Amino acid sequence: MIRLENIEVTFGDFTAIPHLDLHVRPGEFFTLLGPSGCGKTTALRTLAGFIEPARGTVRVDGKDVTRLPSDKRQVGMVFQNYALFPSMSVWENIAFGLRVRKEKPADSDRLVRDIARRVELSDEQLAKNVAELSGGQQQRVAVARALVLRPKILLLDEPLSNLDAKLRHQLRQQLKDLQSEFGITTVYVTHDQDEALAMSDRVAVFNKGVVEQVGTPQDIYDHAATEFVCNFIGDSSALTPEFVAEVNRLSAAGLSTETRSYLRVEKASLDRPADGGTAVGLPATVISRTYHGLHSRYVVRSHGADIRLLVREDGGAHPETGAATTVYVQPGHILQYHPGTGVSLGQDQAVALP
Amino acid sequence: MRKLKTLVAAAVAATLLAGCGGASTPPASTGEASGATAGGSGDTLVVYTNSNGEGRGDWLAAKAAEAGFKIEIVGAGGADATNKLIAEKNNPIADVAFGLNNMYFSQIKKEGALEAYHPAWAGDVDKGLGDGETYWPLVKQAILLGYNSDKIAKDAAPKDWTDLWTKDEFKSRYERVTGMGTATAQLVFAGILSRYRDNSGDLGISDDGWKQVQQYFKNGSPAVAKTDLFARIASGDVDMGQMPSSIIADREKSFKVNVDTVMPSVGVPLAVEQIALVKGTKKKEQAQKFIDWFGSAEVQAEFAQKFNSMPVNKGAQAKANPGVVDFFAGLKQQDIDWDFVQKNMGAWVEKIELEYMT
Amino acid sequence: MSGNNTVRSMASSPLVLVVGAVLTWFIAAFLVWPNVNILMATFFPDGSFSGRAAEKLFSSQRAMKALGNSFLLAVALSITVNLVGVFIVLVTHYFRIRGSRILFLGYASTFIYGGIVLAAGYKFIYGEKGIVTSLLVRLVPGMDAGWFSGFFAVLVVMTFATTTNHMLFVANALKGIDYQTIEAARNLGASPWTVLRRIVLPMLKPTLFAVTILSFLTGLGALSAPQVLGGRDFQTITPMILTFTNSPTSRDLAALLAVILGVATMLMLAVMSRVEKGGTYFSVSKVSSELQKQDITNPVANVAVHAVAYLFFAVYTLPVVLIVFYSFADGAAIQTGQLSLANLTLDNYVRVLTQQSGLRPFIVSVVYSALAAVIAVGGLLFVARLLHKHKNWVASAFEYLLHIPWILPSALLALGLIVSYDHPSPLVGGAVLTGTLVILLIAFVTVKIPFTLRMLKASFASVNSSFEEAAAIMGAKTLYVFRRILLPLVLPAAAAITALNFNSLLDDYDTAIFLAHPLVQPLGLVIKANTDGAEGTEGIANTFVYTVLLMVITGVTMYLVYGRAGRRRTRKRKPAPPPLSQLPGPALPRDQAPGEDDATRPATAVR
Repeated sequence: MIRLENIEVTFGDFTAIPHLDLHVRPGEFFTLLGPSGCGKTTALRTLAGFIEPARGTVRVDGKDVTRLPSDKRQVGMVFQNYALFPSMSVWENIAFGLRVRKEKPADSDRLVRDIARRVELSDEQLAKNVAELSGGQQQRVAVARALVLRPKILLLDEPLSNLDAKLRHQLRQQLKDLQSEFGITTVYVTHDQDEALAMSDRVAVFNKGVVEQVGTPQDIYDHAATEFVCNFIGDSSALTPEFVAEVNRLSAAGLSTETRSYLRVEKASLDRPADGGTAVGLPATVISRTYHGLHSRYVVRSHGADIRLLVREDGGAHPETGAATTVYVQPGHILQYHPGTGVSLGQDQAVALP
Repeated sequence: MRKLKTLVAAAVAATLLAGCGGASTPPASTGEASGATAGGSGDTLVVYTNSNGEGRGDWLAAKAAEAGFKIEIVGAGGADATNKLIAEKNNPIADVAFGLNNMYFSQIKKEGALEAYHPAWAGDVDKGLGDGETYWPLVKQAILLGYNSDKIAKDAAPKDWTDLWTKDEFKSRYERVTGMGTATAQLVFAGILSRYRDNSGDLGISDDGWKQVQQYFKNGSPAVAKTDLFARIASGDVDMGQMPSSIIADREKSFKVNVDTVMPSVGVPLAVEQIALVKGTKKKEQAQKFIDWFGSAEVQAEFAQKFNSMPVNKGAQAKANPGVVDFFAGLKQQDIDWDFVQKNMGAWVEKIELEYMT
Repeated sequence: MSGNNTVRSMASSPLVLVVGAVLTWFIAAFLVWPNVNILMATFFPDGSFSGRAAEKLFSSQRAMKALGNSFLLAVALSITVNLVGVFIVLVTHYFRIRGSRILFLGYASTFIYGGIVLAAGYKFIYGEKGIVTSLLVRLVPGMDAGWFSGFFAVLVVMTFATTTNHMLFVANALKGIDYQTIEAARNLGASPWTVLRRIVLPMLKPTLFAVTILSFLTGLGALSAPQVLGGRDFQTITPMILTFTNSPTSRDLAALLAVILGVATMLMLAVMSRVEKGGTYFSVSKVSSELQKQDITNPVANVAVHAVAYLFFAVYTLPVVLIVFYSFADGAAIQTGQLSLANLTLDNYVRVLTQQSGLRPFIVSVVYSALAAVIAVGGLLFVARLLHKHKNWVASAFEYLLHIPWILPSALLALGLIVSYDHPSPLVGGAVLTGTLVILLIAFVTVKIPFTLRMLKASFASVNSSFEEAAAIMGAKTLYVFRRILLPLVLPAAAAITALNFNSLLDDYDTAIFLAHPLVQPLGLVIKANTDGAEGTEGIANTFVYTVLLMVITGVTMYLVYGRAGRRRTRKRKPAPPPLSQLPGPALPRDQAPGEDDATRPATAVR
């Protein structure tokens, strides 16, 4: 559906994206994830046609659109702040693209009302000024405005970033529902890993203009391809060489002690896992415990590594701060990265750049 | 940058404070200030004049200082100075006023803003030129109709103002005023309208008189702001127009034109610049001394030499520029009833502005 | 803030009561009393009202025609200034035009000069003997050399002379537009022209309304351009007002005319604020991105826009260049339009700067103007804040009263002050104000109140109220919030307003002539003494010298306020807080009309 090939984007002397290849499949909800300034928005804007790359091609449906202006690419975009036109009513905002296309007024009105119904905007709201709408309603206007032109691709630039936590959660779901309902290929930009994991079919993790990993949410979570991805996604504890050496000693797993090693918080436990035949137990001391209702967060120290882990508050007895305990680890869950390049040393990585 | 910001902030804060202070305490502070400034100016005489332009003010201040007078000249147009003197009559700031003509001074006198004084040189001037009581004549100024003598021969030139609009060859060739605010313009009309005095007519002027005014405006070329008549004559735009006698020699030189003047059989209107003591001055004695000094034959003579003026003081006339003196000697003064003119000028100006100026 | 809309809630704050008391006193003592006095004296000369003035005026063909011309000019100017103003703003701030910085400097030349000299400058170029005219006549032999006169010429000159407000306010509003909305429109298929017409211009509407009012008022008060270029057929009402103001017997006519213009001004204000109320124009988003310059994609349009932009540049800069040149020439050469490089000397400058008064008037004027500008802004900061916050009838009454100086010409205001305070008055604690240093300051502050108030209110309106609420929640008192939170936010705007006020007061003549202390005379009086007094040769040359000197002072002021802000902005590549964003209100008729800064100056040399 969308292919970015060999893209390079520069602003003056600054190279925002040195080299980018991406492929987005039809109907997919594809997320560009990364910290601010990582180049994800630049990539999106290149795709949208607001930025012309210094090198490389952008293809939509196999057609080279690299030099085409934004409106000829059949992409709809929802901006970070929605970019609604403040001097127009909701109806006028949605109808803007249609009127530019010189659709018949009657057709425009039908299309606007149709899309408005599908994004659950009432007729009354259509007559309102955009300033009178809530954040969630504004978002739906922005989506409707983009979708009413029936684009092939919908681009979303951090559309949830200005909203409060509750609304975010609610709208996240709405957006996802809308997307599945319309079945439209969607490229979504966010710095929020939660959003990315929950909404996406696939995620591309950006760092300093480079894609570190592309994969399904589970892929990038469980098999972070690089140390950056490992740190950026989810929560993990850094392990010391001594700790890794001890794991080796106990399990003969043969892990390298020269690498950077991490363990996801949910992969360590204080109880021997029921099914985990390969798990090994290491003696540890409880450094701290924070109660969260559903669970407690523990920090335990073992062989110089501060290991964070979660313990379900299921009514059982749990060790207090200062107590000696045992931390159980499956050697296969330890993520290892090359200290120089940060590339994963694991065997079963899905480094998928199709 | 940061420093600048702080500075601006400090300045605003300071002025805010100053503003508040100023607003809450003015009764006391301004009361003192007025006392202080009134006494503070010490023996500096405040002189209002409309005759300070073209270096006259500076010259006078310097000369006065030599003679031991500390003066401060406040320059203002004739109408402005008149309005100011009248407005301030309850608490005058000026000590002496000069340069205004009899029309202005009689207006000020009517409002009771002048103090009677008999200057030491009263005997050397023609009493009839002033009011013989409060304001006294200094300098004579003839209001003339001048024409480009390089272009128009003397016998082809107009003989009187009325020729300008009655003879086709002068139509559109003379500059006419665009505002009645200037003293010169008012004097021109005093000269024209006085001839048509008719107590049964509108504002004391016969219909025929008003017709002349109408014709004057209809057929003249309107003056152009900030472009001197002499500049327009030099460029061939017009050939003639009104001019006070004192400026002619100077302008002829600067614009390289030659101008001759018309001598109507009825004579020409004379404007006489006067000097007067302001009523309520706190430095009366000093002010009187200044009037005595400034109007004296020597000072008037020097002034006349320097600025080509025609002094009224007989002693000064001998030392004035002979050309100027001769010119005035050959001049016939138009007989104008200044009381009548003064009484009606305001209404005339209004009527002309509203009805005739197009 | 909904709780603040009743009189009771306003009266419950002791601070508001104190400010209210001071304000009431100030308005009563310096705005109402003097003007009531002078209007009574004019309209009720013998204690009974006379309809004489109206009768005289309405039966005068000339007065009606001049009044008509003034209104015609006001309406026409409202349109043309917007056309040219929006064009130059777009060229310098919106489109990608080669050399837009240079263009900006050229267009900004109206910031620093105006009035009669500006009109004269245009005459040097397009007048009968003007440079361009002689060229055209040579090319088109049958052409009328006097083509540049009348309504057309006046309109052209005033249009180009009064785009200052666009350069200040519209440009700032443009910078405040969220670039994402433009991208969104492009993405939806809008052409650059559609984006401009449907997205950008509508968002500029409130500012355009405000500057339209300013243009209207400028046209209404037009003085020097019609005098210099209007010719016989296009004269306006202002010269007549000035003549009548100066004549005690006709002052009622002046007052009546002033009131007519004042009412028109207020009507225009009311209409504009009504129209403006209808919509939302500011960006609804909290995060906006910086405007980026747009390419003009159509090559023909691109060439055309470049051509017009540079043509305008020439129109704007030629007069300034000539004025600077001519300030070195002798007066006769200036008036006859004969300029040769050999004739240029420093004589004019030597003469002006070595006269007895020397630099003193410059200092006096700078100090008075600075003080008045700062006091007006400083004092009104808090008042504007209160008026913005409290919307009830008491507040609106105060607001209307503070607009009084807009209605009357400043000469009448000055006369009112003299007649009211030339004797001990209980309103000012029994003091006599005439002859003191403070009375001119009072007048200067007074005439700047309406403009300052409107601008400050506008800038408070653009401050996000949550800052204030945040501070209040943390326990800060009103005054503390004002000082530490609001003041820093509106300070850039306040500084800009102060600079504009300062510049416009520098060469004031109308108030100074009546109110200045004899020993402390400001520049306006000296300029007047040196420039008219028969429009002789030296006089006209001095006019040019003073204009150039004033250009230097105002140029420096504008640089301090805007130039630095501009530099800071480009360095950080971040939008600086717009000095005067969203300006819903208008400014004043006779005051913030940069092309007409001598609008209340006596029309002709009054000798």
